[in-house]
Amino acid sequence: MNIHEYQAKKVLAQYGINVPKGGIAYTPAEAKRIAQKLSSRGPWMLKAQIQSGARAGGHFISHDAGGKGGIRLVTQISNVSYETSQMLNNTLVTEQTDDKGKRVNKVYVEAYKEAKRLFYVGMIIDSSIPAITLLISDVINEDIVKLAHFNSESLLRLNLKYDSGITDEQIFKILDFLSLDKEYLRSFHDFLGKLLFTFINLDAQMIEINPVGMLTDKKLIALDAKITFDDNALFRHPDIMKMRDDSEEDDRVLKAQRCGFQYQEFSGTIGCIVNGGSLALEAMDILKSKGYEMACSLNVKGGVDKDKISAGIKIIMTNPRVEGVFINILGGFLRCNLIADGILAATQDVGAAIPIVIRFEGTNKDEARSILEQSNLPIMFADNPDEAIEKLLKQMEVND
Amino acid sequence: MSVLANKNTRVLIQGITGTQASFHVKRSIESGTNIVAGISPRHGGEEHLGIPVFDTIREAQRQFSFDASVLFVPANGVKSAVREAIEAEIPLIISIAQGVPVHDMLEIKSMLNASKTLMIGPNTPGLITPEEARLGIFPENIHKKGNIGIISRSSTLTYEAVLETKAAGLGQSTVIGLGDDMIVGSDFRVMLNLFMQDEDTKAVVLIGKADNAYEILAAKYYASLSNKKPVIAFVAGEALPYHNYNMGYASDIITHGRITVSDKKRIMREAGMTVVDNMGQIHQILQELQL
Repeated sequence: MNIHEYQAKKVLAQYGINVPKGGIAYTPAEAKRIAQKLSSRGPWMLKAQIQSGARAGGHFISHDAGGKGGIRLVTQISNVSYETSQMLNNTLVTEQTDDKGKRVNKVYVEAYKEAKRLFYVGMIIDSSIPAITLLISDVINEDIVKLAHFNSESLLRLNLKYDSGITDEQIFKILDFLSLDKEYLRSFHDFLGKLLFTFINLDAQMIEINPVGMLTDKKLIALDAKITFDDNALFRHPDIMKMRDDSEEDDRVLKAQRCGFQYQEFSGTIGCIVNGGSLALEAMDILKSKGYEMACSLNVKGGVDKDKISAGIKIIMTNPRVEGVFINILGGFLRCNLIADGILAATQDVGAAIPIVIRFEGTNKDEARSILEQSNLPIMFADNPDEAIEKLLKQMEVND
Repeated sequence: MSVLANKNTRVLIQGITGTQASFHVKRSIESGTNIVAGISPRHGGEEHLGIPVFDTIREAQRQFSFDASVLFVPANGVKSAVREAIEAEIPLIISIAQGVPVHDMLEIKSMLNASKTLMIGPNTPGLITPEEARLGIFPENIHKKGNIGIISRSSTLTYEAVLETKAAGLGQSTVIGLGDDMIVGSDFRVMLNLFMQDEDTKAVVLIGKADNAYEILAAKYYASLSNKKPVIAFVAGEALPYHNYNMGYASDIITHGRITVSDKKRIMREAGMTVVDNMGQIHQILQELQL
């Protein structure tokens, strides 16, 4: 789960990390009031609160937004409400959102903090060691995955011990990497130690401070903040769970989550229902080799409730971009007949107007197939994914 | 022979009285698995499916010895159940539940490192040695005794791999689901090592996915082996668009640099594995090996 920058900063402040003063505004008038309260002279930062990085370099879809990005430095108080009004209720597209972008419905107003120097700090989990890895870079405002992918040397990576924290030796390495002298030891120790404590205490999967600012008194300040929490650990953090912003999530994703399933959107025309994420990956690879793309996938792994399975299947069947559905179930824990019952219930509600090809294998597959064959629904069956996808594509051509 | 489990393996079930555990334990017993005892707090002294139940592993160990424990405990109880099994020095732990917190796995991994216990999972169908031992939730009707070892990072694609060996007219020595989660107890390397030493395993099918760096570690390890059996590998997710990468995948790209599926496949080929682009090709390659 992700939270907004203003929420992440509040969390960091609770853990003693230095952040700029700020307030959240839902209207231009509110933004102005907050700005006046923060400082009499400015300047101020206005920051569109959508859950995406690269907001500064993004653009709003509407021309009323003044052709600027989602992070703005404002020097005149008279401009605060005007600039806020340009961003509010407009859609911001960034490198990290898709083309549809995300609608801005709140703006974070901050007192501008002058920093001597800016750099990137991140913390993530390296699953193959495994360890918590601390990341430092001089390159700021860049997508970290891209940076690692294309400019790997610009990143310093340090693995932290789960129980012993960050050592002085590691801090010296960081200072050396950033060409800073040793007198910064204490402030880096303090800042990074608190960040690690936050990371562990809140079951974070990733924390990014992009950038950290170095102030004239040598202290460090988090000028931006992004925290991703482990969904599986949210039961331990009810306060964090309350920060979830449903408007950030697609309706279908939310519906699937309520059933305990994962739903993902892609840009093609074929819907896919599987029990296991890798089956969707496999289908995606086969589709691509035939020149097609997936529209969406639903993973019903772990499903034990017929009604939930039926609700899940409806999410796919009612997606207007879906022109054909491939269902691939390898029953183990999940029994195939339960899926068959779910399909039956779903088609009773939304019909079966688009081609459906099913491949059942494993636990109770024959029972599942006979349930659907008796229903007289226009459903086709296949013995393996290749055959299933071929049948589906052929039927979709016929329907055209 | 086989790896890690056979008909003599004495199996403990932690969380034996749950609904899912009951369904699968019954099937495991029917397929010949040597399940000797179960753990379920407050059910100590009872019998479940004809198996004696104890409150703690220590109590069960007064009467029995165990070679493996299968955990049917829910995700939020996995850490303490694993700790109990490690403290009881059970050599093999298999944890089925999905949804174990990542930070719990960091702790579990450091416990495992300080012990002799090997862990498979979490979020795995488990391990099966056909006709001998079913430690988990595998659909047993698709398996057949044979000489192909299977190691998979994806629960459901494990079944797909089994069906491919069947299509080649072959069977399996042992099938191991490593687990679908970002961090799992064991990666490919330990299992590759076991299969390379197992007399009854003639070739290995390895199934990876668009995820973390495990496949790269496997390739490097395989390249370093002097005595290699053939490995046929598949990695799912070549067509996955960049912005759909999950958190675990993104973080291992950050820590390791570029690891796209095509990078993985290239590195695995360079290491000497036969890499297929479609799982449906596996049975042909197996047939060509003429085992």
